[in-house]
Amino acid sequence: MVEKYAVLPCNGLDKCAGVISREIALRLCGEAGHEIICPVFSRIAEVKYRKIISEHPLFVIDGCPTRCASKLAVEKNFKISNKITVTEEAKKSGIELNDTLQLREKEQALIGIILNDLMNTGNKVTQTIEETGVSCHFDYETFQKGKFLFRVPVNKEIFFNENDCWAYVSGNRARIGVTDFVQQNLSDILFFTPPEMGAEIDQFGEAGEIESSKSVFELITPVSGKVIAVNEALIQKPELINENPYELGWIADLELTAFENDKELLIGFDKYFEIMKRKVNDLNG
Amino acid sequence: MSETTFMGVEREKIDWKPVIDYAKCNFCMECAKFCPHRVFEIRENEEIKLIVKNPFNCVVFCRACSKTCGPDALSFPDKNETSQMIREIRKEAENNG
Repeated sequence: MVEKYAVLPCNGLDKCAGVISREIALRLCGEAGHEIICPVFSRIAEVKYRKIISEHPLFVIDGCPTRCASKLAVEKNFKISNKITVTEEAKKSGIELNDTLQLREKEQALIGIILNDLMNTGNKVTQTIEETGVSCHFDYETFQKGKFLFRVPVNKEIFFNENDCWAYVSGNRARIGVTDFVQQNLSDILFFTPPEMGAEIDQFGEAGEIESSKSVFELITPVSGKVIAVNEALIQKPELINENPYELGWIADLELTAFENDKELLIGFDKYFEIMKRKVNDLNG
Repeated sequence: MSETTFMGVEREKIDWKPVIDYAKCNFCMECAKFCPHRVFEIRENEEIKLIVKNPFNCVVFCRACSKTCGPDALSFPDKNETSQMIREIRKEAENNG
């Protein structure tokens, strides 16, 4: 966390995680010079924070998956640059939060871990698109339903699962992402959480999340593999997934670990196109 | 609305559905509001105000509703065990077919 952020915590007094979000925000602002956005006051006096929001990227701290702070940011049309969820950070650290609003030893330890992680975010090693050598330009078959257009790439090397995710296999690597069905249903995508670099993910495991004002969607990877690159462009511009989820909106590159086995539970263009059309018709009547 | 098969396997043979931990659930109904497949049913006048009404409408491997759950009251089966079960059912069907 090297930039100066505007920090919007959930600040909720409903759960311990909300109190933790408040404490983290206070410490970030007090010790590292970031600017706080009070979620309560910003509801009625947004103008007070307009200058801070326009001058600094927004860092959102949600306490729990109800995502009140994220929803507030969306409601106010604030662009989210970075975010964390306290309960998820607690799970990662193996810390079980207490049921009260008191910050005890465990909660203080979690606050320390989160602050330490945030301060060191700038040191994460990632790879760029070019380094992986995978490039994607495809021809598409399309299906129109009302004003919505659903594209599916026609390519023998692209495999799909029935969870609306794709894998473009090239040698022992695959690029993965979501289909138009996902991005059209989520509507405007506002935030992208990449999978961890180096993580080994089994077929149907979670490989990152994308989030809109409607929901959070976890990408269910069609293939097993080790994450060797993530699409960093999505961190600043998650809307690239809406523009084209198969090309600039790709999610990650994996080094394949069990492709021959994975293939058994994958489908090609023909089957997926039919399944997608059925789903679109089911959802839209 | 419900899927009839998943990867060629009858949906009703696949054990994939959310389980509600009523000790944690605060009946905020975010999951029911979110799920487009009507897996949940809200029962306003009952003591247990939320149930999993249509488990086989649940999209296999989807856990999106749990991402809306503040108190972390929704859980799902293990994905590896489920995919292994799907493979076995497919193999059995091939051998019998």
